[in-house]
Amino acid sequence: MTRRWLPVAVGIGIVVWVAALALLAVTGEGSQRFGQLQPWILLINIAGVIVLLALIGSRLTDFIRDWRRRVPGSRLRGRTILMFGGLAVAPLLLVFTFSVLFLTRGIDSWFHAEVREGLSDALGLSRAALDLRMREVLERTQRIADDLSNLGGSSLYAALDDHLRLAGADELIVTNSGGQPEAYSTSGMQHGLPGTQPEELLQQVRQGSPYVSLEPLSGGGYRIRAATRIGAAQSLQGSRLLVATYPVPQRLADLAATVQNAYQQYGRLSFLREPLKLSFVLTLSLVLLMALLAALYGALFFSQRLVRPVQDLIAGTRAVAKGDFDTRLSMPSHDEIGYLVTSFNDMTKKLARAREETERSQAAVEGERAALAVILARLTSGVISLEPDLRVRVANHAAGNILGVEFDQAAGQPLAELAARHPLLGQLHAVMQRHLEAGESEWREQVTLRSDAGRRELVCACTALPGDAGVPGGLVIVFDEVTQLLQAQRQAAWGEVARRLAHEIRNPLTPIQLSAERMRRKLFRGLQPAEAEILDRSTQTIVQQVEAMKQMVAAFSEYAKAPEMQLSEFDMNALIRQVSDLYHAQDPRVAFGLSLDPRAATLEADPGRIRQLLNNLLTNAVEALDGRENPVIMIETKRAGDQIVLNVIDNGPGFQGGLIEQAFDPYVTSKPKGTGLGLAIVRRIVEEHGGQVELENVPQGGARICITLPAASRELRRADARRERA
Amino acid sequence: MHLTRWRYPGLVIIAALLFAASALPAEASDEGRFEIRNAYVEMLGGAWQLDVRLDLGLSEAARQAFDEGVPLTLMLEVEATTARRFLPDETVVSLTKEWQLAYDAIADRYVVTDPVTGEHVSHATRAEALDALAHISKLQFADTTQLPTGGRFEMRVRASVEIGDLPTAIKVLLFWKSWSRSTDWYVWSVRP
Repeated sequence: MTRRWLPVAVGIGIVVWVAALALLAVTGEGSQRFGQLQPWILLINIAGVIVLLALIGSRLTDFIRDWRRRVPGSRLRGRTILMFGGLAVAPLLLVFTFSVLFLTRGIDSWFHAEVREGLSDALGLSRAALDLRMREVLERTQRIADDLSNLGGSSLYAALDDHLRLAGADELIVTNSGGQPEAYSTSGMQHGLPGTQPEELLQQVRQGSPYVSLEPLSGGGYRIRAATRIGAAQSLQGSRLLVATYPVPQRLADLAATVQNAYQQYGRLSFLREPLKLSFVLTLSLVLLMALLAALYGALFFSQRLVRPVQDLIAGTRAVAKGDFDTRLSMPSHDEIGYLVTSFNDMTKKLARAREETERSQAAVEGERAALAVILARLTSGVISLEPDLRVRVANHAAGNILGVEFDQAAGQPLAELAARHPLLGQLHAVMQRHLEAGESEWREQVTLRSDAGRRELVCACTALPGDAGVPGGLVIVFDEVTQLLQAQRQAAWGEVARRLAHEIRNPLTPIQLSAERMRRKLFRGLQPAEAEILDRSTQTIVQQVEAMKQMVAAFSEYAKAPEMQLSEFDMNALIRQVSDLYHAQDPRVAFGLSLDPRAATLEADPGRIRQLLNNLLTNAVEALDGRENPVIMIETKRAGDQIVLNVIDNGPGFQGGLIEQAFDPYVTSKPKGTGLGLAIVRRIVEEHGGQVELENVPQGGARICITLPAASRELRRADARRERA
Repeated sequence: MHLTRWRYPGLVIIAALLFAASALPAEASDEGRFEIRNAYVEMLGGAWQLDVRLDLGLSEAARQAFDEGVPLTLMLEVEATTARRFLPDETVVSLTKEWQLAYDAIADRYVVTDPVTGEHVSHATRAEALDALAHISKLQFADTTQLPTGGRFEMRVRASVEIGDLPTAIKVLLFWKSWSRSTDWYVWSVRP
């Protein structure tokens, strides 16, 4: 409310002030009128000064506070105030100086010596004219007094009337020596009894001198009073006086009054000369002070108006710097500052829009990144993303499982350091380095990684990531473990071979055997003993070999055949005891050590196949221990979550050379008479149950076969489903 | 030593102004006496009349102004109060009477004028004129309806001389000049 009415009040104040100055200008030439108005002018100016001082004080306090707090824009405002103030003060002081100079000289010019002399001369002239008149009147009065010296009673009155009329007097009075009237005659203009005569008149006449004086009248004009003694009495006692008053001619009286007024006015002005000058200078000083204060207030006011948009811009810029893009500035005007404010508002709008788009993009990127992380986590393929300097950016869980590396804390670590600690990753790193040194950033290769746990086949693909502005984006390596797939392929191929062998070989074997037996039967009797013996031996050999081939074909047929699973719950530990007892009974030299976890007792599986699995494992182990001293076979079971782990460890020679990498392949054997199907069948049974099998050489000597089987059929069925999908 | 450093400059300025203000009356006191010598009232013809005798000394400024032709104004303030029980005194009569003294250069006479009645008396010399002004006689200021004859009342009279016919603004602006002089109140009780 106060802010809204303040400009109105200031406007009214300025109008009143200007009106006061106009009055000063209008009345300046007449000191009388100026004198009447000057108190009001002074009052207006003093009130204005007080109001302006209050306003300036308020604004100056605000400005000093802003200056001390180093409010943005306060320095600019200070310079603006100095500039505005300087521009206003200099011309004002100049005008004031010259005004005072002209004013004092103007007032002084009123009192030139010529004026004073002229007035004095006019006064002297007037006095001379009146003195002449007064002398004439006095002589006339003396003549009348001479005529009246011998008269008394009614003749005196008559004489007075005659002389009054003849002399043109207003009043003729005959008094005693004390001034008391004895007889008088007045013109029509006089009424009532004459009053007492002035003491000075009586004293002068008493002293023997005639009296004449010019007396000013209350209504303006003059009259001449003359007095003389009547007769030639020696002493005043008993003598009479004649007092006569005469009018001054109107023309002369008017001129004399004019001269008197001018003389009096000049004297008054002469007396007021210095006070007037001082008064004018003080008034001008007050006006100057008012103008200076108004200029100062204007400088404060307009500097604030001028600087406020700049302050708003600075505050807006700071807000934008702090990230507040919603800042909008009000339009102060339609000039350059207004254009600047409009540009600033446009800029903040665009920044806000850009930030919103960035946030949306960032959210989309975050979403995609989260989705990618989920996808990566669920991928069975290993994925490793590398920085251009081969530091690990990210790697998924599958990569860790395949390579045996904990990638959770590996982000940012050089791949070479990790490779030095993890052999599988080291082999992969070596392959990658080979390609990088060859200048290949994109390559695809099947890599074989070797470890104590066996061989692992990886299909790797490396791709360079796109970078920004010429900066390389790094590499991403995707790899799948195809060891089991290859083994499954080999297993399937060998199954097909076995089936064909069984089919193609089994069929001709029976005719061969029958033909050999028929040939022996037909020919044996007709031959010589020696020839008969040869025939018998030959046919016997053919039959034996055919029989052996039949057994081999049966074995291959058995491998190729996959009968339906008969799942049931059974005590695996008990089965292990039975089988181990059987083998121990066959070869008591071999010691069996059993470490069977009761929690691993119950297994839901095909007991016939598990028995075959145990038979194959123990057969291999016993055969491997042939000829060894203190042969020992350790059989362990333990529970690991939902899995049952079976370890069969012997202290034999272990797998020699590269045999460990192909131990599960059919027809791979280190034994002279082995078919090489034992471990292949073990692997097939484990996989049919959804388990895993690994083998390794024990550092102390011997081999260890580790089999992990799901404890319940649920996992088994799931494994079936996976297998079917595969 | 910090004696040269004014701690309260505002107080110093105020003290200096007070000192200057106190010095102004001292300047005025060096001039002619201006006081009421005596005054009395009497009942004449059913009206209370006042006689006052003044020592009418003019200030230097007044003398200078008068010599230059500026008229002087003699102002007489008359008050009559009656006592009241339990209440402040009641001002029964309050009268201000003025006379103007001017010099007529043509007639070379000093004229005393009553602005109200227009009564006009001229004197040959300034001393005579001042003497005439200093003897105020038979000034009727109240009648018996205002001041009963048998009652007791208190009179007080004060006179002042002003340099008349000057612009008010000049008097305001040049306030430090002795544009007027006043006597103290002359107070006496009138008893039956």
